[in-house]
Amino acid sequence: MRFGFSHLILLLLFPLISFPGCEQPQVEFVFAKKTKELMPEAAGPVKAALVKQFGNPFALTQFEGLPTNFGDVQATVKTVEASGADQPLIRFQATGLADSYDKLQGLPLEWTSGKGQGHISRIKEYNFETGTIAVEKSAEIDPQPGDTFLVECVRLQFGRDLYNRHCMHCHGMSGEGTGPTSRYLNPPPRDFRLGIYKYTSTKSTSKAQEADLGRTVKEGIAGTYMPSFKLLTEDEVSAIVNYVIWLSIRGETEKKLDDELFLDYSKEVFAERTSEEGGETREEVLEELKDFMEEDFPDTLEFSTSSVSEAWEEANLEDAVVIPKTARVPDTAESRERGRKLYLSEKTKCASCHGPQGRGNGTATQDFWTNPATNEKYPNRGLHDIWGNQLPPRDLHRGIYRGGRRPIDTYRRLFAGIKGTPMPAFGGSLSDAELWDLVNYVMNLPYEGNR
Amino acid sequence: MGKGWCLFFLFWPVAAVVSCAMAPWIGWSFPYDNAQAASNLGIRIDGLFYLILIITAIVFIGTQAALVYALWRGANNRKERADCVHGNHNLELIWSIIPGVILLFLAIYQMNIWADFRIKKYFPEAAVKAPIAEITARQFEWRFRYPAIGKILQQKPQPDDLYSVNELHVPFGKPVMIQLRSDDVQHSFFMPALRIKQDALPGLQIPVWFEANKPGTYDLVCAELCGWGHYKMKAHVIVQSEDEYQNYLKTLTEQQFYDGLGKIAATENNSENGSESEATEK
Repeated sequence: MRFGFSHLILLLLFPLISFPGCEQPQVEFVFAKKTKELMPEAAGPVKAALVKQFGNPFALTQFEGLPTNFGDVQATVKTVEASGADQPLIRFQATGLADSYDKLQGLPLEWTSGKGQGHISRIKEYNFETGTIAVEKSAEIDPQPGDTFLVECVRLQFGRDLYNRHCMHCHGMSGEGTGPTSRYLNPPPRDFRLGIYKYTSTKSTSKAQEADLGRTVKEGIAGTYMPSFKLLTEDEVSAIVNYVIWLSIRGETEKKLDDELFLDYSKEVFAERTSEEGGETREEVLEELKDFMEEDFPDTLEFSTSSVSEAWEEANLEDAVVIPKTARVPDTAESRERGRKLYLSEKTKCASCHGPQGRGNGTATQDFWTNPATNEKYPNRGLHDIWGNQLPPRDLHRGIYRGGRRPIDTYRRLFAGIKGTPMPAFGGSLSDAELWDLVNYVMNLPYEGNR
Repeated sequence: MGKGWCLFFLFWPVAAVVSCAMAPWIGWSFPYDNAQAASNLGIRIDGLFYLILIITAIVFIGTQAALVYALWRGANNRKERADCVHGNHNLELIWSIIPGVILLFLAIYQMNIWADFRIKKYFPEAAVKAPIAEITARQFEWRFRYPAIGKILQQKPQPDDLYSVNELHVPFGKPVMIQLRSDDVQHSFFMPALRIKQDALPGLQIPVWFEANKPGTYDLVCAELCGWGHYKMKAHVIVQSEDEYQNYLKTLTEQQFYDGLGKIAATENNSENGSESEATEK
């Protein structure tokens, strides 16, 4: 075979052939199962309200009154690029964004001076190097050099990007706990949308502190698939926590709206009401729903958002934290013996779940329990958590402490219980000394045969 | 065979040699900008690497030059016919014995380093006596268990052991040993800067020793594909002076035995547990 030029070209082309890069998926926040079970006329406004208040993962929205650090950045238009009438976007260079996050695409931009004052545009393109922003042209806006504007949700977007990189593949885009890798995990990843977190430093009725969630991100949860993200900086961890709490607030708001509507306007109830026994016509139900949507829904929405927000704000106050009144009782054999008696006593009933030997095999694991949400019995024996997963009581001999292995961690588990699980709070019924005795007993169990 | 093919077969070895020679300048060499290994053993391992590199480079250039020469001669000389040779005893002996000698030399030459790194009998005595930590690899993080200050690491966990995750602290300038375990699947304990790599196997406890020769923060990564989260299995190894290391252990003790009021009950624990263990042994 004589050497042909075309052969050379073909050979040289081989290394050059490459696949086009992957693009970030354009996805939306998902809605709860309960929302989908509402009749469409009731689900519509719920979905619309959520999109209005929280936007979507690639078009975040700022909503006043949430305890979230949205991170607005003030900037000024420097120059405006001329653009033809047929171009849909208008481009301008801005100053003031050099120190902020370098990915602003999709964020709302509120004009604070000039013709468009008060109007909100969406950033369609952003170039960090040149500071060039592109927004959609509209009649309301006419950017001129010197006009000022706010870029909203910059901090939230930073948190979203980190979340999507590190957390999303398990916890899901909306924090619903069904990301692509979640199917391989047991225990399953947490669904953030109930706003309930198990390992907290707060009282039994309070939500989690930001510091608690930050600690979980940094330390991981031993004994589960939640790994440690210690190599992230403090700033990154706090941005992730900020975003996760925001996802929780979204989920809780949705749940409150659903709970309000579910009794009267779920698909099932609608079928019942319009059946022969119900005796109502479709028009009557829709009329009633329409009245509700006009008169009560705005208040319900506002109340849902504000009550959730307040709960998160309160959790971060100092007096939400469980702090023992007395120091740890010295870890002596006598203290552990007192703890052991308490553990086996009728007062605490620890043994009924964790077993007389602390092996996690108490008699309660053989019972059929009632689901508090539906008032029906679970199909399987044993305990369940609020997310509906089967939850074996912890084997106390394993020396694995999901919420941390400091004495204060165990104390707080006993004092405030574990939220979302059948583990009760002993803060009221046991004294500090008794709690510490129990801590000493329980924390010593893994080492009984080791010394 | 045309001259074009000769040039084509000349191009690739030249490109290979040039890109290898340029590699250190464009960051394709040892990690961290071709920095010297951060452990003494690592420097010796690098020495082995360079020795093998030089030998293979000489062989590669020599054989490629001979190949291209033969092609070129054949392409330019259409009258001369190639001979078909059925075996040449002398040639076969030469091309078997020379590589054999080289391989034998390498096998013997590296034995000391291998023994120092892998055979526990040759580990530095001080390191074997007091392993600094037990390292447990699990999907997808590194968990560390240190013995309490002034104590020896025990096989089974002790109540005063100190725990941390994804951040290993190591004193520099002295050999240290760790016990490597895996909780689930096969992992590999790899510190690129120190040239230390050892697989972690479930059910086995594998001793690994190293001696960091300069303080700094190094990466500890998993070098065995261990599952979908393999990429995020990364930790820091912080090499610091003995004083700083002891201070770190103190802080860790304070944090771990925190009872919510700023009082540390750890010291009481230590003495009490110690006396009890003696009592139970009797």
